[in-house]
Amino acid sequence: MRPPPFPRSPRLVVKVLGFAFTVIACVIMAVFVLFSWHTNARLTKAVADNMEASQLRFAGIEERLRRERTLQAMTLAENPTLKAAVDTYYAERDSGLAIDQLLSTIETELTKLQRMMAVPALSVADVRGVVLASAGPSKYDWPAGARLRLLVEADGAPVETVVARNGRQYLATAAPLVLGRDVIGEFFLASPLDDAYAVALARESRADIAILLDGRVTASSTPAPLRQALDGIALPLSGSVVLGGDEFVVRRLSAVDSASVYALSSVTAAARTATSEAGWVLLLVGAGALLLAGGGSWWLARTVAMPIDQLTSSLARMARARDLTQPLPRGGGSRELDVLADTFDNLRTAVSLAEAESEAAYLGVIGALAAALDARDPYTAGHSQRVADLSVAIGRQMQLPGADIETLRLGALLHDIGKIGVSDAVLRKPGKLTMEEFEQIKLHPTLGARILKPLRFLDAQLPIVELHHERPDGRGYPHGLKGEEIPLFARIVHVADAFDAMTSARAYRSALPVATAVAELWRLIGLDFDPQAVQAMAALPVALAEPATAVALAEPAPTLETVEALGALVPFPTRPAAVVNQSAQLLRRAE
Amino acid sequence: MSVIGAQEGNTGTIDGRVHVVSHPARRLATAGAYPGRTVGIQAEREGSELDNVIVFVDTEMHVDAQPQRVTIRQTNEEFVPHVVAVTMGSTVDFPNDDLIFHNVFSLSRAATFDLGRYPRHASKSRTFTKPGIVKVFCHLHSHMSAIVRVFSHPHFAIPDRDGRFTIPGVPSGRHQVTAWHERAGEVTHSATVEGGGTAELSFSLPLSDPE
Repeated sequence: MRPPPFPRSPRLVVKVLGFAFTVIACVIMAVFVLFSWHTNARLTKAVADNMEASQLRFAGIEERLRRERTLQAMTLAENPTLKAAVDTYYAERDSGLAIDQLLSTIETELTKLQRMMAVPALSVADVRGVVLASAGPSKYDWPAGARLRLLVEADGAPVETVVARNGRQYLATAAPLVLGRDVIGEFFLASPLDDAYAVALARESRADIAILLDGRVTASSTPAPLRQALDGIALPLSGSVVLGGDEFVVRRLSAVDSASVYALSSVTAAARTATSEAGWVLLLVGAGALLLAGGGSWWLARTVAMPIDQLTSSLARMARARDLTQPLPRGGGSRELDVLADTFDNLRTAVSLAEAESEAAYLGVIGALAAALDARDPYTAGHSQRVADLSVAIGRQMQLPGADIETLRLGALLHDIGKIGVSDAVLRKPGKLTMEEFEQIKLHPTLGARILKPLRFLDAQLPIVELHHERPDGRGYPHGLKGEEIPLFARIVHVADAFDAMTSARAYRSALPVATAVAELWRLIGLDFDPQAVQAMAALPVALAEPATAVALAEPAPTLETVEALGALVPFPTRPAAVVNQSAQLLRRAE
Repeated sequence: MSVIGAQEGNTGTIDGRVHVVSHPARRLATAGAYPGRTVGIQAEREGSELDNVIVFVDTEMHVDAQPQRVTIRQTNEEFVPHVVAVTMGSTVDFPNDDLIFHNVFSLSRAATFDLGRYPRHASKSRTFTKPGIVKVFCHLHSHMSAIVRVFSHPHFAIPDRDGRFTIPGVPSGRHQVTAWHERAGEVTHSATVEGGGTAELSFSLPLSDPE
């Protein structure tokens, strides 16, 4: 088997598949990347917008809450008991009398209010700014006797402010205690600006809350790292900032004095779930698209490349078998391929015709040569053609295949071509052959093979030409092959050659009767002649043409001894007896 | 029974003027959380802060005097007058002129009481038996307040529109005379009263920040 001309080149189907798949996959990947990027951007934008809206809403709520706190403080400051107690206390403060009852009245009232309000600290100061009483869990930061005035406004309007009490920051709403047209004291609602407050706000706003005082974080609902990241950052009133690698939507909910309350929402964290979900879906779609692309590419490759592939392999097979007789199969893949196949077929036909013509020309020449050779000696004229016909007949009798019959015919026709190198003197010598002359005769098979060797289309016929004088008993020439070592064709031609020689007249004898020749064949079966070939020969009509009883020779028939010697020593059993004799003598001498 | 007041003809008069310098910082431009809540029109208090000033001889001596009966009306969600001065044993009536319920109560030591709620045309009264400042409030209307100052003697007066006051029947001798205002505090001057004579005094009360 010949190796393919370009062993490293990939097959077309692979190339088409690879190319189509790569292109489609690239397009799909590009679409995938663009789409997922776009989706992520959109999702992030939507989340940010959503958060901004929610923060804005909460900022509105927080602003309303601030107003409500103010209103609450003002309403609570209208408490008549508180007012009466504060005013009475004020009137009696310097009387030297016990005023504890008034203070406890205030404190009890404050405690009752605090229970309703759940404010961390409620406190009342008199008009001098002295805290009279406080209530609530944070009341210890607002002890009685502490000096505190938050209402600095001339008109006594309520204020909201940030107050430091015992180191803690309080968001305080102050409202005046008014009696008639007079301010008789101050009422405070206060919440510490601590983490708990931030967490409570965060729960309501659903965003993280950071409380900054003079730019520093005093409280937050955020984890510590984010809190540190926030410190010292100039936060916008509203917008987005990047903290610790995450994008945050930020809005200032309120600002009281130097304290600001900010809502922070991590867009990255919120978008992560959505984007990862979208990512999975996209990935699934992408994988499906890739599978489709693979299938599509395979189909494309099959459609385009497979017919070409089939055509190519058909061509390769034909080239390997050197068989140009079969037309190319039509894949039906495309018109172009069919045109290609048609063209190739036309070419092939033309080449076959040309080859056949040239073969015929060769054969004609060689046949003519062989005929001319035979014609050198009138006794052997037509010999090659007869041997050929006989060999074909034997081959047919042996039921050889048609191709073998053809091989046999041509081989037999050319079997004596080597005699061209044997001089006329030797070839046509009517008398005895000398030793040298005989050696010259024995050269003709080898010579014939040498002559025909360059003609490659006669490769199959070469063994016939070279070995048609070998004998099963190994006493033939030129190599002395035995039995099965000799090709069947050569054995057949050997039998046919001997039969024709015996039944042809020679200068020194007349033709032997067919029966005699057949008998001779039978006699030397296994020694000189191949048994199969002899049996087949004997069964031919030509061998049965004359019954054995009709073998009555006008001329003296060769003696048994003569024939024996002939079979043993002479390649041509039809050699003249003299030659036979001579050969016998030579043999004997040699022995 | 006082020694001073025992002898007729041995008394003189203290008169003079009180001047109130109102401090604007303590006056509210806005009135409370619910300015629109009051019934009717809450008129500007008539007169001036002079109505809320009491000039009195600052002594704790006990001088018998005829008990008085004065009235503080509840009108347009105000106690009118805002300030009354009475001798011990006097009774104050608190009639309700408004269409709404009112209440009168006090947390003051001199008289701690609660007259309860009552409707229009009803009236309740209280007799004050101890000297001192009694701050009176309405539990229903936290902006309402009044002052009943109870003295152990009759030597006190409330200035007129011009700030003029006269305290007759003051025993001769040297006295501490005080002008008092609930916000402005008090100013005290000395006065020597001669029998049949008149001592002139002049007070100036600044309604400044009471710190």
